[in-house]
Amino acid sequence: MTVQLLHYRAWQGAFRRPSWGVWPIARVALGSLLRRRLFWLLYAASLFLFLMFFFGGYLLDWAVTQVSQAPIKVGNVTLDTERLVRSMRQTLQVLSGNQDTFAYFFNFQGTMVMIVLALTGAVLVGNDFTFRSLPFYLSKPINRWHYILGKCLAVAVVVNLLTTLPALGLYMQHGMDEWEYFTNVAYFEESGMGRGPASWVLLLGVLGFGTILTVFLSVTLVAAASWMRRTMPLVMVWCAVFLFLHMVAVILVDGLRYNVHWRLLGLWNNLCLLGYACLGFDHETIWPAPQPSFLAAGITLGGVMLLCLTYLNQRTRAVEIVR
Amino acid sequence: MPDLLESTDPSRGDRALEGPLVRAPLSLVNGARIANKSESLEAKDSAAAELGPKTGPPVLFFDRVSRWYGPVIGVNGVTLELRSGITGLVGHNGSGKSTLMRLAAGHLRPDLGAVLVEGRQAWTAEAKRHVGYCPELDTYYEEMSGRRFIQCMARLSGFSRAEARSRGDEVLELVGMADRAQRPLAGYSKGMRQRIKLAQALIHDPKLLLLDEPLSGIDPIGRRESIQLFHKLAGRGKCLLISSHELEELEKLTDHVAIMAAGRIAAVGPLTQIRDLLDDHPLSIRVASDQNKVLATALLDCDDVVGLDRLPDDALLVRARNPRRFFQRLTELVISEHLEISHLESLDESTHDVLGYLLGGKS
Amino acid sequence: MFIDLQGISRFYGKHQALRDVSLRLEKGRVGLLGPNGAGKSTLLKILMGLLPPSSGTGTVLGHDLGGDGTLLRRSIGYLPEADGLVPGMRGADYVALAGELYGMPRKQALRRAHEVLTYLDLGEARYRRLEEYSTGMKQRLKLAQALVHDPPALFLDEPTGGLDPAGRRGMLELLLTLGREHGKAILLSTHLLGDIDKVCDAVIILHEGRVLCQGDVGTLCRRRQDRYRLQIQGEPNGFLEELRIEGVEILDDNGRGGFRVRVPAGWVTRAFFILADHHGVLVRGLEPDDEDLEELFHRVIEEHQG
Repeated sequence: MTVQLLHYRAWQGAFRRPSWGVWPIARVALGSLLRRRLFWLLYAASLFLFLMFFFGGYLLDWAVTQVSQAPIKVGNVTLDTERLVRSMRQTLQVLSGNQDTFAYFFNFQGTMVMIVLALTGAVLVGNDFTFRSLPFYLSKPINRWHYILGKCLAVAVVVNLLTTLPALGLYMQHGMDEWEYFTNVAYFEESGMGRGPASWVLLLGVLGFGTILTVFLSVTLVAAASWMRRTMPLVMVWCAVFLFLHMVAVILVDGLRYNVHWRLLGLWNNLCLLGYACLGFDHETIWPAPQPSFLAAGITLGGVMLLCLTYLNQRTRAVEIVR
Repeated sequence: MPDLLESTDPSRGDRALEGPLVRAPLSLVNGARIANKSESLEAKDSAAAELGPKTGPPVLFFDRVSRWYGPVIGVNGVTLELRSGITGLVGHNGSGKSTLMRLAAGHLRPDLGAVLVEGRQAWTAEAKRHVGYCPELDTYYEEMSGRRFIQCMARLSGFSRAEARSRGDEVLELVGMADRAQRPLAGYSKGMRQRIKLAQALIHDPKLLLLDEPLSGIDPIGRRESIQLFHKLAGRGKCLLISSHELEELEKLTDHVAIMAAGRIAAVGPLTQIRDLLDDHPLSIRVASDQNKVLATALLDCDDVVGLDRLPDDALLVRARNPRRFFQRLTELVISEHLEISHLESLDESTHDVLGYLLGGKS
Repeated sequence: MFIDLQGISRFYGKHQALRDVSLRLEKGRVGLLGPNGAGKSTLLKILMGLLPPSSGTGTVLGHDLGGDGTLLRRSIGYLPEADGLVPGMRGADYVALAGELYGMPRKQALRRAHEVLTYLDLGEARYRRLEEYSTGMKQRLKLAQALVHDPPALFLDEPTGGLDPAGRRGMLELLLTLGREHGKAILLSTHLLGDIDKVCDAVIILHEGRVLCQGDVGTLCRRRQDRYRLQIQGEPNGFLEELRIEGVEILDDNGRGGFRVRVPAGWVTRAFFILADHHGVLVRGLEPDDEDLEELFHRVIEEHQG
């Protein structure tokens, strides 16, 4: 090593705008998450569901042809192939790539997302508070919204990796099977394979559902993780908000026949409701009926998000209360 | 385990063992050599040793103690005797200071040798009655108030509820926290935490106090108060072993230091004496007088002076080998040549410099 | 002009953390001193544009404090007191992240991160994970992330916290070099007066939210012609007794041969040597006892408290 190398050297160059700092923040948060084996384990688990949807169609198709060709005998009893084929075809409709497919997919995959987020929130966001990295970020020429945005972006990437991305995979798969799926909005009505729109309307629906999940979950997770910081308390809060409130809502509305607006307590239900709206469901066909209006669900979610953002605003202020 | 000093500077290793150091009231380099053998010399020698150990049975006695953590050695063949007064424990990170403290506190049992507190094995309950320990770490039951915490600690020390209350108030008063003890610990500043930590160590009025970094993080006002408090405790005949990285602060407390390096005690004793014994590092002395030329000429004739420089501000920088003889010679010169000295200062006599020299120029 | 504040106050609810703070400091190395709760961290936050003052105006390095502070913070490298490390990251990535947050393009930031880390002697630790860093390395890493964009000013909050003597000396020397040779303006907030003594020319003393004094350390400290510090080796009692008879006042005795004395008018220092020789003690140190930073600090605070 020469003396010259060890000498302090000046640096000159143009600085970028503060908003360029958002992505590095997200990248670093994701980096620390993707290094964990736990995440990949959970991701692999969540892919099982995707694979079921992906190959389920072929499997059932194959089964239907097999069954209709030869009657099945189990011992002395001959199974009613007619009925079997009919029920299989019904299931096949769910897997046909229509709005029901995506509704089911998002609904099931959502559960996985919730688990992953609860377990990874501490790594993505909470660590900054436990290890007191916040002064490190905030002393840089960015303001606190850039920081919050960066963190939300990281969560958003995780959510999309688990939901929108595989959903788009399914969409592509069905399109590759049947080109008309891509081009004809009335594909399902004409083919009798299911209901709802296809083509770009369905694509927009999928993207819409993904966006709603992304935006809401990223804001709430960042808020919850900066509040709770550690994994276990975060899991508990997460469960309380999404599971417990959901159960309360079900009991109140379905069990005790309270006003339908009590169902708004179930945040996950609200999210799905809005997602279904994107996928083009009629309000009346959404199960379990009755459901509150789309608008009410939207307002509830918006309110919760506003609450979270207010809290984040407080939390990331440079002020530490003087004792 | 190579000896640090011998490995870095082979020329001095032998001398350190056989030379004048053995006769001195301190052990350099070789931890197995028993310190403070010749008390008479020390007592006669300087007022500097006044706060250091005195004769009598040692409060804390390390007898050739070694302790490993798996394959890692924490302390290596340490022999140390402490009596009442303040002793500073200095050394770099990882030199074994905290291990030494924890051995003395009885948290660890030595793998080899024995640690005795008031003549008892340090890890026994009887010995622990005589030990107050302030760990470096700083984690509490955050929601407890300071007073409640202290009272709990008192109860643990075996005081009855009423005693715990009165003892608690007493020590809180002593550390200057009586007025703030009602608040929960979570809201305490680092300085207040240090004081609470000290209070819990004092609760059972121990003879031996082990304080690991008690001055870190305290503001200058609190620091001055703490130093006064330590002096007060030493005045009551307690034996304090204080580790600190802030050597200037430690110098205000005591000049009796134990210097640790690589798990060994490199030297124990009054700082000036340790310094004087490091005779391959001549002492740098800055002198300024009204007749610098005369002074310089005279000093060049002196055998002990190995170097002489003129500083930019016209003062002289003298490098002298045998400080005692040098200062004696200087005094004679001042008297005989009618010099008016305006400045006389040893430049590398601080704990920091001694530590640096002892550790082979590592600092 | 480094820092120029007029009448800055700051309230937290009813609690007033800063009262009418006015500062004028040229670019240089400035120490910020004050007991706990004096308002140091509030002042630092205001100076970095992280916290708007409740009243008053000011500029730091020519940037107005009224704005959102992003431009201001771009010209400051800040070393926080808390570790604030992102666990799992590698040293070089961490410093590069800081560079990116300061607004450097990613590749520039990475290149510069390696350069700064090498300069700070962390070359070999660059690829290690942050949780493996020792305290000394962490402090240098924190300095590296503050230097990555080559800012004109450095704000340092307890940069020597937790360092061992060698580490501390190294850090202070680095800061001194950066200030003196590379023209960085430095604001050093610490409890260790020795740090400020070593690095800084100027000092701000803050107490209960007020600035008690500001300016050059040399001019603030009082000169005292009639006082000396003596370092004696040997049994001092006889010597001291004789000094008293000669009219010398012993002001302080540290019990280890260190004394502070006030001498009568017309005293010659030779007298110390003659008396010492007479009583068989050695004079090992003799210095004019001008006020040092610590005394200045305590004097200023005591004067304020009345």
